[in-house]
Amino acid sequence: MRERLRRSLVRVGAMAAKETQHVLRDPRTLYMSLGMPVVLLFLFGYGLSFDLDRIPVAVEDRDHTEQSRSLLDALTASGELEAVAGAEAGAAEALFRRGEALAALVVPEGYADDLSNRRGTRVQLLVDGADAVVANQVLSKADALVRAEARRLLGPDLADVAPPIQVRVFTLYNPEGRSAVFMVPGLAVYLLAITAVLLTALTIAGEWERGSMEQLFASPVGRLEIVLGKLLPYLVLGILELQLVVAFGAVAFDLPIRGNGLLLFAFGAMFLVGMLGQGLLVSVVARNQLVATQAGALSALLPSLLLSGMVFPIENMPAVLQALSRVVPARYLVHALRGILLKGNGLDVLWPDLVALVVFAFAVIVLATARFQRRLA
Amino acid sequence: MSGAAIEAVSLTRRFGSFTAVDAVTFEVERGEIFGYLGANGAGKSTTIRMLTGLLAPTSGEARVAGHDVARSPESVKSSIGYMSQRFSLYLDLPVMENLLFFGGAYGLSGRALRARAEALLELTGLAEHARDTTGALPGGIRQRLALASALLHAPEIVFLDEPTAGVDPVARRAFWRLIRDLAREGTTVFVTTHYLDEAEYCRRIGLMVDGRLVALDTPAELKRAWVPERVLVARGRDLAGAAGTLAAVPGVRDVSPFGAGLHVLVEAGREAEREVAAALLRGGARDVEVEATEPSLEDVFLAVVGRGAGGEAP
Repeated sequence: MRERLRRSLVRVGAMAAKETQHVLRDPRTLYMSLGMPVVLLFLFGYGLSFDLDRIPVAVEDRDHTEQSRSLLDALTASGELEAVAGAEAGAAEALFRRGEALAALVVPEGYADDLSNRRGTRVQLLVDGADAVVANQVLSKADALVRAEARRLLGPDLADVAPPIQVRVFTLYNPEGRSAVFMVPGLAVYLLAITAVLLTALTIAGEWERGSMEQLFASPVGRLEIVLGKLLPYLVLGILELQLVVAFGAVAFDLPIRGNGLLLFAFGAMFLVGMLGQGLLVSVVARNQLVATQAGALSALLPSLLLSGMVFPIENMPAVLQALSRVVPARYLVHALRGILLKGNGLDVLWPDLVALVVFAFAVIVLATARFQRRLA
Repeated sequence: MSGAAIEAVSLTRRFGSFTAVDAVTFEVERGEIFGYLGANGAGKSTTIRMLTGLLAPTSGEARVAGHDVARSPESVKSSIGYMSQRFSLYLDLPVMENLLFFGGAYGLSGRALRARAEALLELTGLAEHARDTTGALPGGIRQRLALASALLHAPEIVFLDEPTAGVDPVARRAFWRLIRDLAREGTTVFVTTHYLDEAEYCRRIGLMVDGRLVALDTPAELKRAWVPERVLVARGRDLAGAAGTLAAVPGVRDVSPFGAGLHVLVEAGREAEREVAAALLRGGARDVEVEATEPSLEDVFLAVVGRGAGGEAP
């Protein structure tokens, strides 16, 4: 019994050592797992930003008074909204259509009069709703700025008269609302999914294509031994990648690491095992590298991007997609990473995510091993 | 358990309605070089895959090294070495890494594995290439490496599926020298090939035609049984155009091209050299020489195929 176990370990070790040699000799694999993540993180981290900056707003001042100019100055002072010059009455729609402005502010005639007579006045804000994300942000920003201006106009005596309901908003964990802090944990998950699924899918399909799978089957190496031997080196590579991405995020985007680093890697490793298993399953079924790449991308990358909550909040999805997202392991890791990195959560909060990842990993490896027929044809 | 290294009884494999191997029965003795011959698609590789436990037989049974291939393929796998048709080495790895991996796959490890790998490099004459990347080596060397990796665990039986396909004649000769050394030391060798000259090295030969084993014996016996006629070899120039005239020569049974010349089969006991030469000259050939020769395995093969898959030895 012990001798059998020893021989089995020797075989797994031989598979793992061979696979490591392949990786070390193939610059593409190394680039894909260690180089590309940094490049992508850089591009996504800076490019995929929901932060408001210099949103073009057409302003139409029909009042031409000191007061109206003061309102417009208040709106554009921070630089988040930027006035587009030369707008005319009723031109807002044309500007939207040409994409020259995303919002338009109309200050009506008699604005200053109304104010000085304390009659209360109205300004009109038109927003281009084609891009809902920007529209929402412009709306809340403009609203806040106008409110501040209104309070200033009330003067020191009246400003103290508090309205009956007052909401004070404090944003915790990401007070500046920076996209990068929100994005990097999601990106880390996405990049791990790429490495895990694509690399393993390629490696097993490669053995089929090369014909060496037949040679392996003719030896005493068992299915689980092949699976484990293939998995181990990529697990190590994946953990290195996770470390790299988190470190890079911390340095380049000030990503906080508030929770336990070890817990982070425990989650990462469990997720990797599941995704590596999925890659194995894909290549066991596909048997050629081209199909394996396509199937790997479809089955792992798209769900990890779209259904993980990395970019699109799961809470806003239709019920069907919400249900579907429950079998996407990336969903649990995105949640866990945000919890660990931004909130300093521990297992007491995140244990359901870990359970989900373990269940997925176990199920997919059992499935891959079962589908992996060690006989030909 | 019988003394035979390999025993196949009515071994059959069907793929859908196609019968790749049809009720094949034979025995291979220990320490024997057994050649398995046939055209492409005759069922050689399918037979080997069943014997190595890679493919389950549809019916019939086979025992390899005393283990039933259908019931305990894992025991079979541990006691055999297998070199598949495309030598499946890892081309991106150095020679030594390939050996260490395949050794590990058979459960060898540590110093024992390294010593065994070095011994095999020595045996196959690859010691100087140990550090070379496998993909950069010529076919003949890769083929010896593939053999070495099938021998790491000192198997009782090695299965070689078309081991010399696409390898130059000098390398083929060196390879066969290795195989004969192996057999002399007691390893059973089961080898498929479609090079008939190589088959002469085998102690016994099985001939496959369309999934059926139609002849099985030593090369000499096969020749005696299947080619009772006298074989004349005709050499000269412009022979091809003149071959047609031979049909009219009394006693001529068959004519086939052989190398640059012709093999002419004539009835046993008939002296036809002069008539054959005269007929060829009449047909326009020049510088014709005709002499008697030993039948080759190619003559046997043509006789077997010519008499059809249903043919039995006369």
